[in-house]
Amino acid sequence: MPRLDTARRLGVRRRAVLLGGVLMLAASSVCAQSKADPNRGAAKAIACAACHGTPERPPLAGMPTLAGQQEQFLVLQMFLMREGLRDVPQMAGTLKDFSDRDLDDVAAYYASQKPPRGEGGGNPKLRASGAARAKGMACGSCHLGDYSGQRQVPRIAGQREDYLASTMKAYRDNKRVGTDTSMNGLLYQVSDGDIEALAHYLAHH
Amino acid sequence: MKSHLSRFLRTPLVKTLAFGALALTVGYSLAQQFVGPQTKPHTPDQAAGQTKGGGFKPERMKNPNLFPHPPRMTVTAPSEIPLDRIKVPAGFQVELWAHGMPGVRMMTRGSKGTIWAGTRIIGRVYEIKDKGATREHRILAEKLTQPNGVAFQGGNLYVMAINRVFRYDGIEDNPNVKPMELTAQFKLPPLVHHNWKFIAFGPDSRLYVQVGAPCNICEPTEEYAQIRRYVADGSNMEVVARGVRNTVGFDFHPQTGELWFTDNGRDWMSDNGPQDELNRVSRMGQNFGFPYCHAQGVPDLDYPKKDPCKGVTLPVALMGPHAGALGMRFYSGAMFPKDYVNSIFVARRGSWNRNVQFGYDVANVRATADGRNAKVTPFMTGFLDPKSNQFWGRPVDVLQLPDGSLLVSDEQNGAIYRVSYKK
Repeated sequence: MPRLDTARRLGVRRRAVLLGGVLMLAASSVCAQSKADPNRGAAKAIACAACHGTPERPPLAGMPTLAGQQEQFLVLQMFLMREGLRDVPQMAGTLKDFSDRDLDDVAAYYASQKPPRGEGGGNPKLRASGAARAKGMACGSCHLGDYSGQRQVPRIAGQREDYLASTMKAYRDNKRVGTDTSMNGLLYQVSDGDIEALAHYLAHH
Repeated sequence: MKSHLSRFLRTPLVKTLAFGALALTVGYSLAQQFVGPQTKPHTPDQAAGQTKGGGFKPERMKNPNLFPHPPRMTVTAPSEIPLDRIKVPAGFQVELWAHGMPGVRMMTRGSKGTIWAGTRIIGRVYEIKDKGATREHRILAEKLTQPNGVAFQGGNLYVMAINRVFRYDGIEDNPNVKPMELTAQFKLPPLVHHNWKFIAFGPDSRLYVQVGAPCNICEPTEEYAQIRRYVADGSNMEVVARGVRNTVGFDFHPQTGELWFTDNGRDWMSDNGPQDELNRVSRMGQNFGFPYCHAQGVPDLDYPKKDPCKGVTLPVALMGPHAGALGMRFYSGAMFPKDYVNSIFVARRGSWNRNVQFGYDVANVRATADGRNAKVTPFMTGFLDPKSNQFWGRPVDVLQLPDGSLLVSDEQNGAIYRVSYKK
């Protein structure tokens, strides 16, 4: 019953809540332990490595790094692409024969990897401008202060700069589908220059 | 029929039931209704006037790390749906009417009894047939961009996605009919945020269509933030209401024929509001305030303006902070107690932009036909556990059946419940 397993894992009932002073923060870290099998996922992920890279080899240009990505984000995005709801032809082809359990296991495999470290360096002026924009737009609210993400909200720290920029432009221009339209709404009327600064800052974070 | 009913209503058993219903309703009101402070008018933050990026200000919230709840796109088995946790007033019953339809949302009914339901991200339109003891469903359409809008008129089903419009002619007689695409005629604007359509036919046989604001808060271009109506073929577009942020539910008053609609308040201004609205359109082209004036006259913090509420029609009722007041219909059936006639059932999908969850119920609203003396009472509750701040279900739409019972769709569990009343 892989479909039900996914449903349970994605269900809200297991989301635990911590009481901390007046703050009640949804704490994904105390979610029920995933039943997914990262070792099984590693074998399935051979199909992903050519484009998305391996721990030893970076992804191809324009392709996202998946190492250390949020597990629920990966499952939901793979689901959308497999079902043809997010239109990425090469992914739809790869995922065609993946069961729900395969999606769970592949996501667990990538989530268990060490996330990429920000490259540091970069253009100090562009980084500062991106940092100011990220603060103004409060990216750290959903993606968290270290941009590591939570649940369906992806890790964006240390992600490839070209991928970040093209993804943000695609959201703004209605060419990218998420699990909701928050990013489409947030990037409404945001300029190319601001997006490029944000991508530079986050890639080097 | 009428005298039979009134004789019946005088029987002691009915009186007891009615008292029980009243007592329970009051109990739920106290337990479930928003009792926190009303949103106070804010002093506009002058510096914030330059805000772009949707007035996204987490620092104003008690919990700055709020984000929308992820959708559930896989099937929920009936055994996983805790029906016994749902509470309704005495005399009412709830049954699991249909299930196994992930993301099920807005509903409409054909003249021969078929129900169709739209969805958002999963991109499907479901068709549900009542087979007596059970219901059967099929996926009528798939891979559409948030086909939330469904409406039925003259034997034809209308399906509206964010960017496309289809008509299925005579579908109840010809289930395999190929849809006619009407996208070019309707000329819907392209932006997706807050533009999953709610649609309904009015008493004037026009198709009323939601076009939301493509942002949390912004000054959108003029084709957004409104309700329109069209001749059913997509011609003769007219703007019915402006300054509407995001309505995902409307209906026409059974006596006056006037349009009433829910509207979702903006996010990131405070935990307590601005509250969602229930509005009434008494003349064409009325302005309902977005983006400058919210709820009961709350000026916006990010788009301050002199006299922000001048010329703005204020709501009939406040539906709660970040409540997600969506599908609403007037009740005109003969099954529920008489005092429900002409009242409104409103599905409240529940909050995300709030530290303590609010909504996750179906509310009942009573008001005069001209929109005065509105009273909001939670009617169908139990989807949210206030102790743990966790929810298990999200009511999104209501639809009355000919027998007077009420269908309630639950997007979270891909289920439709039926609420009935036993005399």
